[in-house]
Amino acid sequence: MRRIVPIGAALIAAAALVTFPTWSSGWESSRYATTILRDMLVLAILALSLDLLVGSAGLPSLGHAAFFGGGGYAAAIAAQRLANDDLLLGLGAAALVAAFLALVIGVFAVRAAGIFFLMLTLAFAQMVFALAFQATDITGGSNGLSGVHRPTLLGLDFNAPDALFQLVAAVFLIVVALMWRIRSSTYGRALVGLRENERRMRALGYDTTRLKLSAFVLAGAIAGVGGALSGWSLRFVSTNDVGVARSVEAFVAVLIGGTSTLLGPVVGAFVVLYLERVLPSAIPFAETVLGVVFIVFVLAARQGIVGLARTAYERVRT
Amino acid sequence: MSPEVAVLQALNGISFGALLFILAAGLSLIFGMMDVVNLAHGAFYMLGAYVTLTIVQRTGQFWPALLVAPLVVGLLGLAIEPILLRRLRGRHLDQVLLTIGVSLVIADLVGLTFGREIHSVPLPPGLDSSIAVLGGDYPVYRLFVIAFGAALAALLAVIHRRTQLGALIRAGVGDAPMLSALGVDIDRLFATTFAFGAALAGLAGVIAAPVFGIFPGMDVDALIYSLIVVVVGGLGTLSGALVGAGLVGPADTFGKVLFPEFALALIFAIMAFVLLLRPTGLLGRARIAR
Amino acid sequence: MIETRDLRREFGGITALAGVSLTVADGERRAIIGPNGAGKTTLFNILTGELEPTSGEVSIAGEDVTRRRPHELARRGLARMYQRNELFDPLSARENVALAVGAVTGPYRPFTSPPARDLDAADALLDRVGLTDRRGALAKVLSHGERRQLELALALAQRPRLLLLDEPTAGMSPAETARITELIDSLDRALTIVIVEHDMDVVFRLAERITVLHEGRIIAEGTPAEVRADTQVNEVYLGKVVA
Repeated sequence: MRRIVPIGAALIAAAALVTFPTWSSGWESSRYATTILRDMLVLAILALSLDLLVGSAGLPSLGHAAFFGGGGYAAAIAAQRLANDDLLLGLGAAALVAAFLALVIGVFAVRAAGIFFLMLTLAFAQMVFALAFQATDITGGSNGLSGVHRPTLLGLDFNAPDALFQLVAAVFLIVVALMWRIRSSTYGRALVGLRENERRMRALGYDTTRLKLSAFVLAGAIAGVGGALSGWSLRFVSTNDVGVARSVEAFVAVLIGGTSTLLGPVVGAFVVLYLERVLPSAIPFAETVLGVVFIVFVLAARQGIVGLARTAYERVRT
Repeated sequence: MSPEVAVLQALNGISFGALLFILAAGLSLIFGMMDVVNLAHGAFYMLGAYVTLTIVQRTGQFWPALLVAPLVVGLLGLAIEPILLRRLRGRHLDQVLLTIGVSLVIADLVGLTFGREIHSVPLPPGLDSSIAVLGGDYPVYRLFVIAFGAALAALLAVIHRRTQLGALIRAGVGDAPMLSALGVDIDRLFATTFAFGAALAGLAGVIAAPVFGIFPGMDVDALIYSLIVVVVGGLGTLSGALVGAGLVGPADTFGKVLFPEFALALIFAIMAFVLLLRPTGLLGRARIAR
Repeated sequence: MIETRDLRREFGGITALAGVSLTVADGERRAIIGPNGAGKTTLFNILTGELEPTSGEVSIAGEDVTRRRPHELARRGLARMYQRNELFDPLSARENVALAVGAVTGPYRPFTSPPARDLDAADALLDRVGLTDRRGALAKVLSHGERRQLELALALAQRPRLLLLDEPTAGMSPAETARITELIDSLDRALTIVIVEHDMDVVFRLAERITVLHEGRIIAEGTPAEVRADTQVNEVYLGKVVA
């Protein structure tokens, strides 16, 4: 009985999410709200994938956007070059290219730890940025790739804003379910062990380098999927999607929401995008607010919003 | 490449390297003393440049900026260390994250105050001419940058080796907790070091302003370059910053001339390469921060 | 089971090990003792793969493992207990041991929860070391003695053939020491055990043979009786220890 309530609630929330455009159509700013929510879900996917590294495995990556943008470019370019807008082709290309990038970078990056890992991921991501910037023929360089087609699947067309929203929402829910499964699995526990005491893990017989690399690749692939969705949403992929700013944005989202929790990255993504996109219409210094909020969280609420909520809940229970 | 062009490019490379040294020295110093990678370093540089812009716009003079900008940025650093960083003493990764937040705030505030366009400051009078070098005309200002960088390096070396402050910094680079046990006021030392490092970044901003222009996003470029320099040359030491700047400056310059498509990626590849082989850099003596 | 040949290890100018050759038989219980700085920890870290010798070789069960890394040694049946506990602090005792059990079965199952079998094995091990009622307690709230017991459980979870214990009774009260000594004594006789220890009572209770290190060399080796009687050992070490 105890499990039915949370599962039921989750299902209801999921259904509400996917049908959002429908039941919000009466709102004055319905179109705008759908767009913002869609972009929040895309950032949430990126943040969720990043937390697999930061939260679960304890690897602070500041270059995760390389895989997000890489996936976005891959999906758009594959569709263009092969003249095929199939959804599965696009997602597949995104995940594969992102995973491959993550593998190449990861092989080097996982040899470092802590601050050096952070700097290495930053450096490699900048390399990807530089390559995307220079390879104007393929990526459009600083102008980016515009005119990205939205995908189709078995006759279904995701061009309409509402249809695209539902696609994004569906993928988002799948990613959440995936993360939930991973976190409670043997693999997820092993990643936590890795984060808590790598030395001990090695002494127990775990090949920690391989474990770290697998997490890096998995996280990269999921980020790539997010990048594909971003490209389809904006009909545009650019070096902004692989840049430092995007990586930092994802990191900020993860921290504010709460690392190593299932919903933390999602909450964080919502907060970040609210501050970046909704608030600026009211006040001009929204980025500053975001920076200040981030600083406050690092100083006083390192466990993030979800972490705080959890602590509060525990306290109320006892 | 003809010899004349090579020499001119070499001068460009050295000039860029001198600038990189001024920029990276502060970052290296802060890391060496406090084990913190100050990711707001680019923002400090940017602030120095924008302060220069303000001074030039208000007074029409460039030279006061050389004193005022580092002072302003240094004071900011002096405020940030005790108010923010000190609370996270011992939590190195969190300190690094904090500096990210600081950089976001500074970058946004600067953008709001000055707008998003590209600004420029003219070369200071007296240094705005060109001099004949090997048949070509070379900007005097760039030679000034080289001279300034060299002078600063010498000054820092003297402070580092022959004063008590320098001794403290050298010792701190070795073992901060030990210093504390010996009765040195660690709080004051850290605050001063951070302020000094920030001031150096601001100074770099002043020097660079007439050459590279002033625009939003310059903080990220500066941060990336200074990270590359200290990682390659050696995290934590001034000589490391010198070596790193000496390598990266010319490498970047020649790279952009010889293979422009890959120049950018090449620099990062060098950084990654060094990080892998010698995580502490060619000359560094860093401890692994957690 | 273990054989080392002329192990040397230098750190800069300091020679920690100056040629150590020893042989530990299958199922033997060996203690390594010596004053501080004798090289016991260095030797230990080389045996566990966390350190490479400057020269010399180590073989385990006939296989040269000199260059092998810790996780490879663990897969070959080597388990260790650290001197300063290496546990997973925010996890419960049960989860700690489950991770150790999971190492044997392999972690690459991203979609399956730890099987009941693994959790049962974890519980059984916690029983074995006497932590039954502390199963759900987080490792960081356990007392020092309990943490050592947990360390031992982690090592046993690997189903090792060779157990290396680094000062198992360090920092323990007499009652805790007695309990852990008893526990180690009761372990399967087929298990080869090497203990580094300072507590002589524990050493004489558990060891079948003792190796004495001093300044990076073996100065004596033999049964407890032989070592006790050795004059050099008495001068260098035993004489300084309060019995």
